[in-house]
Amino acid sequence: MLLTLSIFIPMLGMVVVLLLPKDNHNLIRWTSVGIAVATFIPIVVLTMGYTDPDGESAADTLLAERERVIAEAPEAARAAILALTAEGVAEANDPGTMSDLAADDERAAHWSLVKGDREAEAAYHEAWELAIAAQAAISQNLKYVEYGNWIPTFNINYILGVDGLSLPLIFLSGLLFILCFVYSFNITKGVKAYYALFLLLETGLIGVFAALDFFLFYVFWEIVLLPMYFLIGYWGGPNRIYAAIKFFIYTLVGSVVMLVAMLALYWQGGYDTFNLLTLIGMSGNFDATFQMWIFMALFLGFAIKVPVFPFHTWLPDAHVQAPTAVSVILAGVLLKMGGYGFFRFSYTLAPEAGTSEFMVMFIGLLGLINIVYGALCAMAQTDFKSLVAYSSVSHMGFVLLGLAAFTPEGIMGSVFQMFSHGVSSAMMFLLVGVLYDRAHHRDLNKFGGIGLQMPYYTGFAIIGFFTSLGLPGLAGFIGEMSVFMGSLNAEGFDWSGTSLYAPLPRWVVYAALPGVVLTAGYILWAVQRVYMGEAKKEEYKTYSDLSGREVFSLVPLAAMCIVLGVWPRVLIDFMNPTLDVLREFITTAGIGG
Amino acid sequence: MNGATVADLGLVLPELILTGMALVLILVARRIQSTSVPVVATVLAAAAAVAASWWVLSKEPQSAFGGLITVDGYAQFFKVLVAAALALVALLSVKGLEGSGAPRSEYHVLLLLASVGMMLTVSAVDMVTFYLGLELITLCSYILVGITVDRPSSNEAAIKYFLLASFASALMLFGISITYGLTGTTSFSGVAASIAERGLADDPLQLAALALIAAGLAFKIGAVPFHSWVPDAYQGASTPVAAFLASGSKAAGLAALGRVVVIAFGPDSPALSIILVGLAALSVAVGSVLVLAQTDMKRLLAYSSIAHVGYAVMGLTAGTDAGASATMTYAFFYVFMTLGAFGVVIGLGARGATLDGYQGLASQRPGVAGVMLLFLLALTGIPLTSGFVAKFVVISSAVGAGYVVLAVLAVVCSVVSAFVYMRIAVLMYMREPESPTPARFPVTLSVAIAIAAIVTLVGGVLPRLITDWAVAP
Repeated sequence: MLLTLSIFIPMLGMVVVLLLPKDNHNLIRWTSVGIAVATFIPIVVLTMGYTDPDGESAADTLLAERERVIAEAPEAARAAILALTAEGVAEANDPGTMSDLAADDERAAHWSLVKGDREAEAAYHEAWELAIAAQAAISQNLKYVEYGNWIPTFNINYILGVDGLSLPLIFLSGLLFILCFVYSFNITKGVKAYYALFLLLETGLIGVFAALDFFLFYVFWEIVLLPMYFLIGYWGGPNRIYAAIKFFIYTLVGSVVMLVAMLALYWQGGYDTFNLLTLIGMSGNFDATFQMWIFMALFLGFAIKVPVFPFHTWLPDAHVQAPTAVSVILAGVLLKMGGYGFFRFSYTLAPEAGTSEFMVMFIGLLGLINIVYGALCAMAQTDFKSLVAYSSVSHMGFVLLGLAAFTPEGIMGSVFQMFSHGVSSAMMFLLVGVLYDRAHHRDLNKFGGIGLQMPYYTGFAIIGFFTSLGLPGLAGFIGEMSVFMGSLNAEGFDWSGTSLYAPLPRWVVYAALPGVVLTAGYILWAVQRVYMGEAKKEEYKTYSDLSGREVFSLVPLAAMCIVLGVWPRVLIDFMNPTLDVLREFITTAGIGG
Repeated sequence: MNGATVADLGLVLPELILTGMALVLILVARRIQSTSVPVVATVLAAAAAVAASWWVLSKEPQSAFGGLITVDGYAQFFKVLVAAALALVALLSVKGLEGSGAPRSEYHVLLLLASVGMMLTVSAVDMVTFYLGLELITLCSYILVGITVDRPSSNEAAIKYFLLASFASALMLFGISITYGLTGTTSFSGVAASIAERGLADDPLQLAALALIAAGLAFKIGAVPFHSWVPDAYQGASTPVAAFLASGSKAAGLAALGRVVVIAFGPDSPALSIILVGLAALSVAVGSVLVLAQTDMKRLLAYSSIAHVGYAVMGLTAGTDAGASATMTYAFFYVFMTLGAFGVVIGLGARGATLDGYQGLASQRPGVAGVMLLFLLALTGIPLTSGFVAKFVVISSAVGAGYVVLAVLAVVCSVVSAFVYMRIAVLMYMREPESPTPARFPVTLSVAIAIAAIVTLVGGVLPRLITDWAVAP
């Protein structure tokens, strides 16, 4: 219930905002902030309660739903369902029963009992789907699962749930929206539409991270696309329309290819379902070629969002043209949709393909290219925002590298990096925005001496940029460090005595290491040009330091940079149980265990 | 085969209502001065036809007139759709024909008769009624396209349409006669039985007949490579007529195609599948690419309709009931979204005719820009609009039938065409206005657009309201 609330409060809020008088800007602004806070409250409650061991497990919820389906089923279907249950499905917690349920010939035998009766077929199918989903939910460490029928004709359900992978990202989204709403008080053009679109964006983003039905996920994924398009295209910089269209088309290409993969899973997978958990439960049965196709198609969709070289070219355009708050959301959470998709969809639905020698090498190399190429590009930028945008490309490379390695440290580092990059890049875009609001340009070579004039601002800037640089003691270091450790450890790493799993060669990691030096290079160089030295223009000496609004947006992020750097266990302990079962599941399925 | 009885007339009640209204309007045509009387009459007749279809729908499928037509869920679904399209087009015509000099009464009579033809077509289960229905639509459409006699472009379009359509009708008739010669029957089920007995694959003559019938139907729905009349006819015709051609006509043609595919040539139909896949792939690709180059709104919507017909045909490629019901869903949603878009074009008058006219519309008429955006998103196929559900079901059935390459082509083309729809959105929302604020829309037009918008939105959020109802024959 709380998840549904956190998804739909922003959407309701959008309607409320649209009904407010157009010219009362302050009313609109404060209402929106109120809505964002109201959205954040259930998220915080979920986050606090997540580690509580007594909470209702996902499997229980799904099995309860299954009981309901059985109770409501017509007589013919009930017999078939119970026949299946009698053979050992009642104990959903017993992993041994899963293979029984998944066996195609067993299903076919019981299917004949209901065949021809549409209602009975549907009930039988749903009960089976739920039983498999309940099994899979255990291997996914999910909680707060919600279930409902949405479009029964196509077996499309409304399923939500979160785990240690998605909940931090939902938390980050909820927080960033509050900060962005406050920061955006300086927007004066089309205030009502601006906040309404932002609220719709929030619905889409939280929905993407919470959806456990592939169709539902796709719908939220596309909902994100539209407000973003308008936010860039209407409130952006001089070249905004080009950037908005480019963003739209790139992302649409990715998502429609994903759509085909989704339909292929439904039909060619042979299980007639969009229920992600059921599909995950059955993914071991997909043959290798099919998995490879699915993996590639999903990969394209997610890679464009991450963005992975060579699909990254929309990102600098979008960032440079977008207004500050939009850049913050874009870098902070939107890019994470791609990374999240790899974990939640690509690897779980095609474990064999994901852990194959080719894919490990492919993703590892792409990660390497992202890290080094992104850093080199960042170094060449003269536009401050463009530099930060390319630094995102570089940092998301670490996520890929950790994924390719697929060792415990690698995965942990990869997810940690997503979160810490969400914090640090959001902060950097805010910092650039603060400066741009005063100077109205972003040319790195024309700044200088800001540190003397705006000491508090510069303090925050140092925290933000050094987090991005990966300075020990700040959040960025933990992610990068773990990724490197994990991926160096990958060679010679073998899974429970088997060596079928293809390791990432060490040379890829060694080749990526200079990326860290390059990162230090472009960050230090930028900090030097902007904050140190003499002011290059007289007007810089008239700048006032941070306003209350700006401080409000920066403080929580700075605090998170430091806390996560000093005491990373807050996050690691939160997500590790999830990542452990996830890795266990994927490697077991991947090596045909 | 039984003879027709008087009781059969009860089954064609919707057709009778429309025909009756058409006759009344013809009789009193010279006495009517006001423009509103025929509109009201047409809308009332259409509403009565919808109600009658609902009423008959509650009964089991039954055949009438000695097996020439059938009244089943499939026919009723399309009859309701045709009647709804008729009502909306009548409402659009109030503003759309302003100052065109078209004779109002006769215009509505033609709309009504064309709709009768559509209803006959969708319920036909015999080649003869099927052909009659299609010809009735086409004959009325010739005149409708050329009804604004003062405009040369309108006459030109009518002549072009006439020549090409006659050719297509001849092809189809030829196909029907060959089929009759081979099978000795004109009823769909008879043809199906005969084909099942003899096997389609070995008979080149039967394949040729099938290809001829498919070509004729492809012409009626404007699928590539039989599409060349579509942009010219839409551009030359007055806008409401173009809207009528894009909505009701297409739906009826798709319904006819669906019945031919699923019933007559359904069993053992790899040849038909190949033809349909070809039509779908070509239509989607050509429509989506050529739409990019358009600056005239009617031509733009014409190419868009070509692409959309391609998507709709994709549902039929599977040759299954689920596929046919996907096509039904597509036709239903497409009719409303395209009528809505045409409604906005009509409402904006001269300004709405070209792309440039949409510049800055959002700041002048936010409501109009909002609904237009909704229709554009639906045409693109973005979730939470009916357009997404429609694309989803047809692409899904293509993947289900194993045509993954076709599905990939379709989704890629949907991205290509997104470019042009989004360009209109850009013009509306991200540019400053250059022309004066357009006048308020008349109530009739607003009502029509509102209905289209509601269907588009509700269809996107709660598609089960329609999909549950779209059951193949």
